[in-house]
This record gives sequence, structure tokens and C-alpha cells, in this order.
Amino acid sequence: MRASDVATLAVESLAGHRLRTLLSGAAVGIGVAAVLLLAGLGDAAKRYVVDRFAAMGANLATISPGKTETSGMAAMGVVGAERDLTLEDSEAIRRRVPGLSATVPMSLGSGAFRHGERRRDVYVVGVTAEYAAMRELKMRRGVFLPPGDERAGGSLVVVGPKLAREVFGAEDPIGRMVRIAERRFRVIGVLESKGQALGFDYDEMAIIPVATGLQMFDQASLHHVIIQVSDPEAMPAAIERVKAVLVDRHRGEDFTIITQRAMLDSFRAILDALTAAVAGIAAISVAVAGIGIMNVMLIAVSERIAEVGLLKALGARPRQVTVLFLTEALILSALGAAGGIAVGVAALALGARLWPDFPLAPSAAWILVVVVLALVSGGIFGLMPARRASRLPPVEALQGRR
Amino acid sequence: MTSLPGPVHAAAAVGVDLTPEIIRLEEISRLYVTGPTEVRALDRVSLAIPRGAFIALMGPSGSGKSTLLNVLGCLDSPTAGRYLLDGEAVNGLSEQRLADIRQRKIGFIFQSYHLVPRMSAARNVELPLILAGVEPAERRRRVAEALAATGLGTRASHRPDQLSGGERQRVAIARAVVTRPSLLLADEPTGNLDSHTGDEIVALLQSLHRAGLTIVMVTHDPRVAAKAERLLTMRDGRLESGPEAA
Repeated sequence: MRASDVATLAVESLAGHRLRTLLSGAAVGIGVAAVLLLAGLGDAAKRYVVDRFAAMGANLATISPGKTETSGMAAMGVVGAERDLTLEDSEAIRRRVPGLSATVPMSLGSGAFRHGERRRDVYVVGVTAEYAAMRELKMRRGVFLPPGDERAGGSLVVVGPKLAREVFGAEDPIGRMVRIAERRFRVIGVLESKGQALGFDYDEMAIIPVATGLQMFDQASLHHVIIQVSDPEAMPAAIERVKAVLVDRHRGEDFTIITQRAMLDSFRAILDALTAAVAGIAAISVAVAGIGIMNVMLIAVSERIAEVGLLKALGARPRQVTVLFLTEALILSALGAAGGIAVGVAALALGARLWPDFPLAPSAAWILVVVVLALVSGGIFGLMPARRASRLPPVEALQGRR
Repeated sequence: MTSLPGPVHAAAAVGVDLTPEIIRLEEISRLYVTGPTEVRALDRVSLAIPRGAFIALMGPSGSGKSTLLNVLGCLDSPTAGRYLLDGEAVNGLSEQRLADIRQRKIGFIFQSYHLVPRMSAARNVELPLILAGVEPAERRRRVAEALAATGLGTRASHRPDQLSGGERQRVAIARAVVTRPSLLLADEPTGNLDSHTGDEIVALLQSLHRAGLTIVMVTHDPRVAAKAERLLTMRDGRLESGPEAA
């Protein structure tokens, strides 16, 4: 029997039972569409979150004092000899590591922010002028910290929009004198609202020069140093250079470097697992649809017992009968899968049009997964009815008996 | 043509004949066991049929004539005895080998036609060629030929429900002969037809016989049986010698 003839015969018999073919195909289709939709939503959620995180500061790495992941004898050797991460270290990184588009030393403290009668406890972040561009901070009013010698300090403060509203109300904060932890500052700018990101609420922050921050909180060490590379590919090399510079200065690796990418990777891993779990649940429905196919094929076989008898009388081998019925089951699930893919892809396209910010898109990998799944379940569940047909004794089958 | 002297010695009688026989049954029995009861549908049947014969098989219901036809058609396997088809021992062969023999050597016609309802007449006739893996071009040629030979040239694209009973049986005959079998087995081919249409179908079988086909036909109708070359009668699973047909 030629393969094309097998396919034609199977299609002919499916076409002979349109409604039944449609219904059992639809069961497969719904499962397939559900998998594609859920996987598409999961993938989109991942892209959305990752894009958001990337927007917070692309191509960044932070260097913190202290080794958080100690291992081996070499690390043991530096215990107790841990050095501070200083402004001089930051300056050395800026000078000696090529390919950095920005290097920002950061201090962190908290204290009371007071203006007249109003008072609010805030985080006080010490940075340099470069920080605004690096974090893509926009100004609502005034200016950011001026560029200049990062060791010079100065008593200038930039406030978050929420802090400005709470403390100054309708008053214009620019040029006002305030007290932060009992030290006097002049407000020179108000940030545009950016919202929370990675636990930092920019809207409620007070931003001052880093040298001032270290001094007023009596800190010997920076909280961390942020470096930015212009080309993400340059990050590994830059990190190696930073390590070399700091090891040279500290006589040991007493610091920790974390890249934004490493954090993104762990987020991706979590979201991938979530997507796989949700799509996996939907995949069960495709397998269940396979049971529907088995039902339909069992009905088809019992309706066509006499036809099976005829095929045998005409010289069909048992194997040929199996192949004919199995092909029907496979074409049935393939039709269902094709319909489900069409519906799933269309729904994702519609969603993408309705929510342009949410990156909904069908994935070729998931389409491949559902096609394989539909065919495998159609094949497994189609085999039993097909074998039952092939084993019918010809004489009884011709009389419509089994 | 020699008359068959008796069920047991018939084979030997024809065996000395020089005509190469297409069918040779030696002591064939077919036993059905259903629970405690045992039915002997065929009881030590011996028979030889020469190539080119046209044989009518008669007998009351349950006499075993259908079982004999099914055994001849390799659809049913005897529980004892030896069956040579075209000189080849058939009993004990695997289902696959039996299927191949049916495909190459045997054509079937049934009382209820057994046409596939969703297929056109031409497609029904094509079916055995499809199963045999014949090329599409060759198939078209042979289907057209078979339909023309059975007088259905203009009805090729009609589905069975658009055809009369006689036309349906002609489609079935075309399907049976399209593979050029050496043996045509007909189970009550006129059973569902009025006598006039039945006569036409028998005439068609006669013309196929004249063209060289060996035919074994089960029938209830003595008028139809009389058109065959020779008559065999069965009773209680045994062959009785029948009156020789005209």
C-alpha cells in the first residue's frame, strides 16, 4: 500500500463523519491552544519582567566590600584582613579599567529629613553626578548633583518626588534649606517619579554627594561601587580587570562582584520554571484529548466491522488494517493540533494588539512541543482501536459481528 | 465433465484427471466449539475443482455451504484436513500469507454487496488494487476496464446509495475481478435481487466463466443453480453428489 493512498483513505473516512471528526479534533485543538496561550503568557511575563529589570540599569555590576562566597584556603587567608572599599578604590577602578562608561561609588545611610515642622525618616544615598544617567533618572525640577571631584562632597540634596510632596507640600522645594541627620543641606532638584525597583524606592530618597554621606554617617567603607559597561559583551573582561585592580590594592579578594545579568538569570530561571509548570498542566489536556480520540476510533472500528471484514476479504494484511486506522487517528490529532495552533497564535496576536506593552508572541519551540504531544497522544491512543480492528476475524467481521 | 461419485472419493476421482485442478480439499473439517456444544460445520469434506469450472453449491441453511465457501476463500481455517489452492498447501499459513493469497488469487461477491458507502463505484473497484500497492495510472486503467466489462462505464462516479441493487452487485463483481483472480467466490449473489436482475447478474457471471474464470457460487435458488456447469449439494457438513447441471 502506498503512503499517499493510506493518507487519502484515512481522510476520506474522516470526511465521512464530519461532526465527529470536528468534535474530537476540537478537543485536541482546545488543549493545544491552551498550551500555546499559557506558554505565551509565561514567556511574555518573563520578557516583561526581564525588560523592566534591564531598563533599571543596563550592563551594570556592583562591587561590595567583603567576600560573601568564601571558599577554599586562599579565602580563609584574607579573613580578618578585610579592607574597606574606599573612594580611592572607586577612583582606581575608573582610571585603570578600560571600557567602563560609568563608575559610581555609593554610600547608604538613613536619618531624619526635616524642613520646618515637618520631619520624615528617609534613606540617604550618597552618589556622584554620573548616577543620574546610569539609573536613567529624570528631573521634575531643578538639577542633579553637579559633576566634580567626588571626594569634595558638599551640602546639596536631590529629593524624590514623594518626599518633596510630603515635606514641602505645595511649596517649591528648590533652594530651600533642610536638615538631614542634623546637617544642613540645600535642595537643588526633585526627581521625576520612577517607582520602586529592586527594593529601592527612588520616590522617597534623599540623594547627596557620596563624600558627604561617608562623612556624616562616619562610614569608612562605601556601601558598594556600581560600574557600567557600554557593551554587555565587555562585562566579563571588565570584571576581571576590576578584580585585578582591587586585588592589587587590597592584597586579596575581599570584595564581591554581582552582575545585573546574574540576577536576571535567576529571575529568568524562576519564570521559565513557572511557564513550564503552567504549560505542563495545559499539556495534560492534550493527553486527555488523546483519550477522546481513542473513543472516537473505537466507535469508528465498531461501526465499520463489516468494512474491516471486506478489507480482509480483499487481501488486506492485519498490519495494513492497523496502519489505516492508526493513520486516521494521527490525522485526526494533527488536524486538531493545526486548529489549536491557529487559534492559539491568533489569540496571542490579538492579545499583543490589545496590550502593546506586554510582549505576547507565539514561540516556535512550544508549537513544536504541542505538535509532538498531539501526535504522540493520538498515536498511543489510536493504536489500541487500530489493533482491535486488525485482529477481527474476517468471517465474523463480514457479518458485522466481532 | 466427470460427475463426483462421492464425498470421500471425489478428490481421487478428479485427481486422475489431467486437467490441472485449482482446488483440492482432502478430508477438510471445520469444528465450532461454543461452550459445551460442538458444531461440525464441515465434516471430512473432500473435493477437487478443475480450473475453469462454474460450480453451484446448494443446501439447506446450516448445511455448511457458507463455511465451505469461507474455507475456499481462505477467510476461515479448517480445523482438520488439507487444502491445496493452485497446488499450494494453504492450511496452517499465517494470517499475513492468507491475506496475500486472497489478494492475488481470490475475488469475493456477497449477497449484501459489501460496498463502502462513502466511496464512488470506481473507488470501490479500486480498493483491492490500492491494498495491493498498484500504481495509480495502472489502477485507473484497470478500474475503467472492469467497470466497462460489467456494464457500469457511465456509473463510475456514483456512490452505492445512488445505484440500484443490480448495479451495486455489478460494482462488487467489478471489484472482485479487477485483481484478475483465478477463483471467484460468490455467496448468494442474487439473494437480494429480483429474479430479472438476478438473471442479469448470473449472465454476467456466465460470461466471466466463459472468459476462463473459475467460479464457486452458493445459492438457494435452483433456477440460478441450474445456470452453473455443475451442482454440488451439502447436508449436515457433508457433500452429497448433486445432479449434474445442464
